[in-house]
Amino acid sequence: MIEVAHLTKRYGAKAAVDDISFTVPPGRVTGFLGPNGAGKSTTLRILLGLDRPDAGTALIDGRPYRELRFPLRRVGALLDGAGPVPERRAIDHLTWIAQSNRIPRRRVHEVLDAVGLGAVARQRVKKYSLGMGQRLGLAAALLGDPEILVLDEPVNGLDPDGIRWVRTFLRDHAARGRTVLLSSHLMTEMADTADEVIVIARGRIAAHGPLDEITAGHPSLESAFFALTGDQGPGW
Amino acid sequence: MVTVVLAGIRAELTKIVTLRSTWIVTAAVLALHLLICMANLRQNTEAVATITPDGLIELFAGQPRPAYQAIVDFLVSSSFQMGLFLSVLAAVLAGQEFRAHQLGQSVLAVPGRGVLVTTKTVAVAAYLLTVSLVIAAISTAFMYAAVRGWDPAVVTSGGALRGQGRFLIFAVLSALVGYALTLLSRSTLIGIVASVALIAVTMTQALAGSAPALDALFPLSAGRNLLLNPADSRLTAGPVHALVVLVSWPSLTTAIAGLLLSRRDAR
Repeated sequence: MIEVAHLTKRYGAKAAVDDISFTVPPGRVTGFLGPNGAGKSTTLRILLGLDRPDAGTALIDGRPYRELRFPLRRVGALLDGAGPVPERRAIDHLTWIAQSNRIPRRRVHEVLDAVGLGAVARQRVKKYSLGMGQRLGLAAALLGDPEILVLDEPVNGLDPDGIRWVRTFLRDHAARGRTVLLSSHLMTEMADTADEVIVIARGRIAAHGPLDEITAGHPSLESAFFALTGDQGPGW
Repeated sequence: MVTVVLAGIRAELTKIVTLRSTWIVTAAVLALHLLICMANLRQNTEAVATITPDGLIELFAGQPRPAYQAIVDFLVSSSFQMGLFLSVLAAVLAGQEFRAHQLGQSVLAVPGRGVLVTTKTVAVAAYLLTVSLVIAAISTAFMYAAVRGWDPAVVTSGGALRGQGRFLIFAVLSALVGYALTLLSRSTLIGIVASVALIAVTMTQALAGSAPALDALFPLSAGRNLLLNPADSRLTAGPVHALVVLVSWPSLTTAIAGLLLSRRDAR
C-alpha cells in the first residue's frame, strides 16, 4: 500500500506538487497520468526518498522509503533520474545493486534473462540502445522480487514485443495481490494496463478513481485526460 | 544495521572495481611510480656502492649523509611523492555518482544518506589503502634492489616500516579530502581542481615562510610534517600536529558532504 498525504514540494515560489493526497492499493495497477511538468516525477521521487518534501508524507506500507531496510526487496523502481554509469557492464550494474540489498546473485541472471538482456549482459551500457537501457532499468526494478513496483514511463523506447511483455507482467503482478504504480504518457497503453487512474495537473490531483469511472462520458482515456487537465489536445 | 553497512560496503567496492576509469587512473599512477623508481635505481645503486667506510652516502651530489637514515628517508619520500596523485584517483571514485544519474540509483538502493556516505567512504578508503600498499611495495622493491649488496635489511628495518606506515596514513587521509571535495561539489573536475589547489599551497611554499602555522593546516604540509626528516626539510609543525590535521580534513569535509547529501535532493 502506498499512501501520499498532503504532499507539497516547492522550487522557489513555484509549487511542483501542491497538497496532493492519494492511496495506491495492492492488487491493482494504478496509472499516474499528467502533462509534462504536472508533478508526476516529483511525486515519485519524493515517494522513493530521492527528494525531500516541503510538507506532507509519502509512505510505503506505513513507513517512509528512507526507513526501509533493504528497500529493493520491498519496492522496485524505475525512474528517469536513476541509472547506470555508461562505462559499466550491465551485469556489474545489477550486481552492485543486488549486493547492496543482499539479494542473491542468481537474481541478476534471472532478471537479465527475463527482460531479454541475458545474451548482452557483459556489454557496457553505453553500447545499449534506448530500449535496451530501458530493459536494464526494468531488470533493476525487478531484482528484489518486490511487492511494490513504482515505474516512471516504463515502456519508453521499448519495441512492441517489449511493451506487451511489460503490460502482461504488470497485470500478472497486480493479479498476485501486489501493488503497481505506473506513470506513462501513452494513453492507449495506460487504458490497456491500469485498473485505477490518478490524474495530476499543475501539481494538484485532478481526478482519482477506477478507469471506467474516469473515462465515463468520454470516448477514450485520452479525451478524459484532456478534459480533466484542461489541455486542448493536439497542438503545442 | 551492521548487515546493512556491510552489504553497502560490498556494493561500493563492486562499484569501484567495475569502473574502467578506476583501473585507468590506478594504472597511470602505478606506471608513473615504476618509471620514477626505475630512473632512480641506477643512481641509488651507484651511491650505495660508494658508501664510505664511516657510513656516509651521497644520494644527492655534494650532500653526504649517514647512509641508513638517508636511504630510509629516500624510500619514504619516494612513496610520499606518489601520494599526491591519489587525490585524483579518489575524485574519480567519488565522481562516478554524478555521472548518468547513478546517485539516484544509489539512493534507491541505500536510501539512508548516512549509511550511503559511510559505506562509500569505507570502500574508497580500502581501495586507496590497497593502491598505497602497492606504491609502498614498489618503492621497497626498488630500494631493495639498490641496497641488497650493502644491507638489504634496511628496507624492512623499523625506521623504514614506520616511515611507510606514516605514508599509508598520509596517502589515504589526504586522498579522502579529494573524495569529499568531489562529493561536495558533485563534480570530478571540481574535486580534482580543488585538490590540486590545496596541494599547490604547500608546493609553492607560499605560506611556509611567512605563516608557518597556517601552512601546517594544509593536508600536504601535514604530510610533509608527518613523513619528512626535520634535519633535511624545513617543516612547519610536528608529527602529532600533522596527524591531527590529516584526520581533521577528511573528517570535516566528509561530514559536510554527508550533511549536504542528506539535505539536498538526489540529483
